[in-house]
Amino acid sequence: MESLLQHLDRFSQLLAVSSTTHVSTWDPATVRRALQWARYLRHVHRRFGRHGPIRTALERRLHNQWRQEGGFGRGPVPGLANFQALGHCDVLLSLRLLENRALGDAARYHLVQQLFPGPGVRDADEETLQESLARLARRRSAVHMLRFNGYRENPNLQEDSLMKTQAELLLERLQEVGNAEAERPARFLSSLWERLPQNNFLKVIAVALLQPPLSPRPQEELEPSIHKSPGEGSQVLVHWLLGNSEVFAAFCRALPAGLLTLVTSRHPALSPVYLGLLTDWGHRLHYDLQKGIWVGTESQDVPWEELHDRFQSLCQAPPPLKDKVLTALETCKAQDGDFEVPGLSIWTDLLLALRSGAFRKRQVLGLSAGLSSV
Amino acid sequence: MAQDSVDLSCDYQFWMQKLSVWDQASTLETQQDTCLHLAQFQEFLRKMYEALKEMDSNTVIERFPTIGQLLAKACWNPFILAYDESQKILIWCLCCLINKEPQNSGQSKLNSWIQGVLSHILSALRFDKEVALFTQGLGYAPIDYYPGLLKNMVLSLASELRENHLNGFNTQRRMAPERVASLSRVCVPLITLTDVDPLVEALLICHGREPQEILQPEFFEAVNEAILLKKISLPTSAVVCLWLRHLPSLEKAMLHLFEKLISSERNCLRRIECFIKDSLLPQAACHPAIFRVVDEMFRCALLETDGALEIIATIQVFTQCFVEALEKESKQQLRFALKTYFPYTSPSLGMVLLQDPQDIPRGHWLQTLKHISELLREAVEDQTHGSRGGPFESWFLFIHFGGWAEMVAEQLLMSAAEPPTALLWLLAFYYGPRDGRQQRAQTMVQVKAVLGHLLAMSRSSSLSAQDLQTVAGQGTDTDLRAPAQQLIRHLLLNFLLWAPGGHTIAWDVITLMAHTAEITHEIIGFLDQTLYRWNRLGIESPRSEKLARELLKELRTQV
Repeated sequence: MESLLQHLDRFSQLLAVSSTTHVSTWDPATVRRALQWARYLRHVHRRFGRHGPIRTALERRLHNQWRQEGGFGRGPVPGLANFQALGHCDVLLSLRLLENRALGDAARYHLVQQLFPGPGVRDADEETLQESLARLARRRSAVHMLRFNGYRENPNLQEDSLMKTQAELLLERLQEVGNAEAERPARFLSSLWERLPQNNFLKVIAVALLQPPLSPRPQEELEPSIHKSPGEGSQVLVHWLLGNSEVFAAFCRALPAGLLTLVTSRHPALSPVYLGLLTDWGHRLHYDLQKGIWVGTESQDVPWEELHDRFQSLCQAPPPLKDKVLTALETCKAQDGDFEVPGLSIWTDLLLALRSGAFRKRQVLGLSAGLSSV
Repeated sequence: MAQDSVDLSCDYQFWMQKLSVWDQASTLETQQDTCLHLAQFQEFLRKMYEALKEMDSNTVIERFPTIGQLLAKACWNPFILAYDESQKILIWCLCCLINKEPQNSGQSKLNSWIQGVLSHILSALRFDKEVALFTQGLGYAPIDYYPGLLKNMVLSLASELRENHLNGFNTQRRMAPERVASLSRVCVPLITLTDVDPLVEALLICHGREPQEILQPEFFEAVNEAILLKKISLPTSAVVCLWLRHLPSLEKAMLHLFEKLISSERNCLRRIECFIKDSLLPQAACHPAIFRVVDEMFRCALLETDGALEIIATIQVFTQCFVEALEKESKQQLRFALKTYFPYTSPSLGMVLLQDPQDIPRGHWLQTLKHISELLREAVEDQTHGSRGGPFESWFLFIHFGGWAEMVAEQLLMSAAEPPTALLWLLAFYYGPRDGRQQRAQTMVQVKAVLGHLLAMSRSSSLSAQDLQTVAGQGTDTDLRAPAQQLIRHLLLNFLLWAPGGHTIAWDVITLMAHTAEITHEIIGFLDQTLYRWNRLGIESPRSEKLARELLKELRTQV
């Protein structure tokens, strides 16, 4: 066991070195050894994938390495991502070496011979490195062709493939972090928040919150039961959002109304805070008599249209949420004085706008006006 | 050797030109043309590699100065990279260009350039910076998430197609036909990549509301080819959709089946049954349109081979598989009327023939055969209504159902009583559909006579091969036509299998009978078919079976 972990450590170091200029000192023998190590670890992955204790130990070791080497969003990671990555560590190493300009001519020649020996080299039980690389190239072309010949960004973010993939990765990472050290996920997320492009991150979080229960990734044929239930990933996210008001405010501001409604319906714990934010935003607006509209005082105040859109979207949600929203609006309206005349309380105006919008919608759809429940 | 290298040079020029025209295959025309040539280009690459690997880097450059250009152009065409093994062979070719010890800057530059191309082939597609930062920030390399990304893209496209199929009138979510066509082109090189299966399936099953076919024929051909070579695994419903939408694919599938049947061991019905079931054609034939095409091809094959027994046997096995599939299917879905499958048949005849002998008590088999005979005779001799198709159609229908057709001779032999005229007629009809009334009547008389003799012989204590030969020969002073000879032969064979003393003289009789290779094959076919039928219908007769197997084994060693 100990020697296995040492092997892992040394390979991770090797992998880290493989993309630096250090490789200029490598000769063909070094290259060969490096590839052999990778092959051995790949074999380990296959052999111990189902073996609970060994797998856990390896995972833990990798996770620690990852964290120490800057896994918390501090930049591209030199080592292996996680246990699954062991399954293709030889490909990873090969790619890094291939792309490294510092590798000497003799070493590179030898590398290429090793990676692409030519036809007739077949391994009965596992896919050869050559086959893995060929398949990677093929998949790359597939993604390229699909992207440029038929792929369209899905207007529903949660169904967009790029978004979904990112969300799956986030949830997977969260699970690993959670497995390794239960208190860490929140800190991990915070560090990501500081390091990564925030807009994209928020979208990914939203999509992650809308994912159905995680199914095993294509490479992952091993038992997923070793991990905790996937729903925990979204719980962690919800918890973190609730604990970071600044993030949550940005979340509610940046994302489209429809998406937020879906997220809030799915995770009721978020609705009180969301509604609270919306009411705060509403309170900041005042009525401009001349223009006849509600405006904010500062540039970053949420304008009337956005506020209205979000409330409108929420009112189209299924019952528990919808009722909560209406109740909240009615309460605010009452607190303001329960006016029926427009221009005095933003809540009155909102309710009026929502009702008439709903009325118009029903007219268009040919439904009876009297059945309006708004 | 010299000729090869001349060929290679010619091909080289040809492909160089093609690649220049195709460029990155971004237009409809270039994509279509690339798809048409994918297999040939891969062959060329293989030949190139075979030539290149014998040379060292400098020789390669001398011999093919523009090889770098050729390979690079190929690498920039995603359709080529995506196809089968082309990307691997391209890499091998590139590796042949690498200089182990570059002597000058030119060679170093070449090495460097090759490295760049290799990286290009293997590197990940660059998405938006944000996505890259995100994945890196989480500690993932592209290889970690590429399979997942591809899966998501495929599933997303597949579900869009499905939605398009179901909500065709909702114009907002509609997929433009050009986009669907484009997707089908993209799938052509990717057919054997299993990640793409859900998309292929969706393309086949979901057709929009356009009146004409949107998908490219290259797509259908590629899918069909992959199915026939077992390089893709699709649900039967998708395969049926393919054949319904693209007739040439169905025809090709049938021809592929015929080829297999010819090349496989002749006369082994069990194997034939496996091939047929494997081909998915019986299941697909539950759809009447497909059945009619398949049946038509069988009809043609039969006419072209002048009623070859192997074709008849194949039709019988096929029909049996088809009926089984039909039973299964009709439990879940609507059943089509019989007329849609057999338009030239009277419903009553169809219904009787479709019955499985297994479902009828053995004692009633004779009765059923008589009934079949009456109905068939009616159809055949009915001149007044100008029966559709004439005797051939009736015969063609009858031969589909081997359970009944092959049983007649047996039943005649088993009954000790006077052979019923109906059965005699049926037997004569089966072996000689083209006979006129008089000829058939004559055959019936001959058969009756033979049966009489056989009955007498079966009662005697000892049998001799010579006697049997005489019985067979009776009436051969007049030149007995081949069909009638065949009939008599099969009667005798049946007799040998069933008569108590049959096994003693069986081999002798057969030796006398089988004086040509063709007849030997015929006897082998008969024995194989009989064993197959007994097995299917649960006819247990250990002695007969043993004899049949021994004879079969012996005969097989002789051909």
